Amino acid sequence: MSLNTRILLVGLGVLLSAAPAAAHHSFAAEYDGNKPVALTGTLTKMLWSNPHAWVYIDVKGADGKVVTWAFETGGANALYRRGWKKPDLPVGVVVTIEGFLAKDGSPTVNATNIKLPDGRQLFAGSSGTGSPGKPASQP
Amino acid sequence: MRMHRLASATAWTTLAAALATASFASTPAAGQAQTPRAQATLPRTADGKPNLAGIWQVRNTAAADLQDHVARFNMPAGRAVVVGSDIPYQPWAATKKSENFQAGQARDPLAQCYMPGVPRIMYLDFPFQIFQTPQTIAMTFEWSNVHRVIHTDGTPHPDGLDFWMGDSRGRWDGDTLVVEVTNHNDKTWFDMAGNFHSDALKVIERYTLVDRDTIKYEAAIEDSKVFTKPWTISMPLSRRTDMSRVLEYACQAEAEEASGAFTREPATWYPGASGAASPMAAVPIAAAPSRPSASPATPAARATVVRRTRDGKPDLQGLYMSDAGGANWGLERHTGNPALTPPGRGVITDPPDGKLPVQPWARAEHESRLRPERGYDDPTAHCFVAGVPRSMYVPSPFQIVQTSGYVLFLFERMSWRIVPLDGRAHLPDRMRLWQGDSVGRWEGDTLVVETTNFNGKSWLNEVGEIISYTERVVERFTAVDADTINYEATITDPVVYARPWTIAFPMQRQKGELIEAACHEDDQDLAHLKAVRDAALAGSKK
Repeated sequence: MSLNTRILLVGLGVLLSAAPAAAHHSFAAEYDGNKPVALTGTLTKMLWSNPHAWVYIDVKGADGKVVTWAFETGGANALYRRGWKKPDLPVGVVVTIEGFLAKDGSPTVNATNIKLPDGRQLFAGSSGTGSPGKPASQP
Repeated sequence: MRMHRLASATAWTTLAAALATASFASTPAAGQAQTPRAQATLPRTADGKPNLAGIWQVRNTAAADLQDHVARFNMPAGRAVVVGSDIPYQPWAATKKSENFQAGQARDPLAQCYMPGVPRIMYLDFPFQIFQTPQTIAMTFEWSNVHRVIHTDGTPHPDGLDFWMGDSRGRWDGDTLVVEVTNHNDKTWFDMAGNFHSDALKVIERYTLVDRDTIKYEAAIEDSKVFTKPWTISMPLSRRTDMSRVLEYACQAEAEEASGAFTREPATWYPGASGAASPMAAVPIAAAPSRPSASPATPAARATVVRRTRDGKPDLQGLYMSDAGGANWGLERHTGNPALTPPGRGVITDPPDGKLPVQPWARAEHESRLRPERGYDDPTAHCFVAGVPRSMYVPSPFQIVQTSGYVLFLFERMSWRIVPLDGRAHLPDRMRLWQGDSVGRWEGDTLVVETTNFNGKSWLNEVGEIISYTERVVERFTAVDADTINYEATITDPVVYARPWTIAFPMQRQKGELIEAACHEDDQDLAHLKAVRDAALAGSKK
């Protein structure tokens, strides 16, 4: 998914705050930008933490086996500024999360977008969009 | 200001009136042993409040144990700071406190370098500095560059968020600053003895300047989940008249360097006062070609639109965010990785080609740092302080607090930069810091900050652009309208670069407030990055 597409989704889904998420480490080191993924499952845990928050969902595979996937998102501060509230993501809700797979093959994803059952889409990303302010005033 | 105090419905009304008739009346409600002479000579701000500004530190052993305690190894004995000595635990909580005491360091969150919370931060045996304006009282602590922002503008606590350091809102009760601290998490302790609380904690602090070098500090502790009734601690804070600068104790960085989890980069780290020089020889720096500085607005335009302080300087205060064009992922113009790394417009204004004038060794090192297994080596992946200029373009907001003597930058990911404006000299060369040593001055309407004494441990950004201990930064902050500061920084670093270079971008005022962003405390990424590194190391040994 292109950056522009993501920004579009954000515009559809949530009121984007002035402040983007704060990144604090190299995502390129940990995740594979060539492996986009979308998974649907039941939310089992949400950590409202900084510098990144984490969403855990149980996903049933084709073989019927249930695997718990971890999704890294922007930090709690960034989510809060984008208008997220803890009640938006209660345990038990079924969500679809898009993002990029971890390089190490573990069930871990750098999330970009979360779709809620009521149709709302939440921008979850950790970096790179929503830059505030005016365009650069290059001297 | 006398009118203000007379009008306040507190015990201090009595004191003010007594002073007016030159006969001292005691003030039992405030409980101060304050002499008329001391009261009359208290430093005060322009709005008549007691001026708490300065560097302060406790002189007690409350950090070890709030209650009476005998000596233990490496821990002096001390008397209780709890008023009435006893902490009124509920029975289950008394049991848990005993377990905490037995477990000691193994369970103490401070032993993990987690933020101490309030009130514990106030009596750690490290100095801290207070900056006071009518809207904000800021505290910068030497311990791990932690800060507190006490809002004195009447705004309410936020709803639905909790913080390691709580949320502080203050008001003046006569001559006493009263701060209500709420929104605590349940993860901090009061001391090393295992005294603890829940997330229902509420702390009411009282700061009373009793003479020019002493603050009486009191904190009332309420927590209905843990205690049977509120209780209070009380202690003096002493002015550190022997120091003019708070230094740094980077707790987690020191811990990881001691354990070997974070290791020296010989080319860039300060080699030590008597140590060998960097293996990378510094090249003589060619002077940058002189050119007009980026000062866009005309003086006439500036005068009408820029906010100003009482003394006529541009008022830079507020919450800001840099529009830094992706500098955190590359200072040069770059396309980025559409999935994981934002593109950047390039913020280098000199050299004119927009490229970093890196020496060949540094180019090779930068390429090495781009490998996935080097992601672990970025100090900010460990949640360490970001350094300069990176602190100014990490993608999170920062707050500027400004007094006549200082400009203070408070960063959301718990770090600070203190810029004194008193013309002082830099620290001795051997004193090296993550954020360096900054001194500032006003050049017309531009704040100019020169920073030296870096430890060389920082990276410039997530893609590993390089800076070393020979770094010297000259930053220029120019308010161009009520909500925009133009920022320019010229970096000289002869170990890494063939010539000085300059970046520039605007900083935009933001709505809202600074929100604590705990990093090391909650981080889950470092283990992943370490796994990537360890796998690569194992692979290379096969």
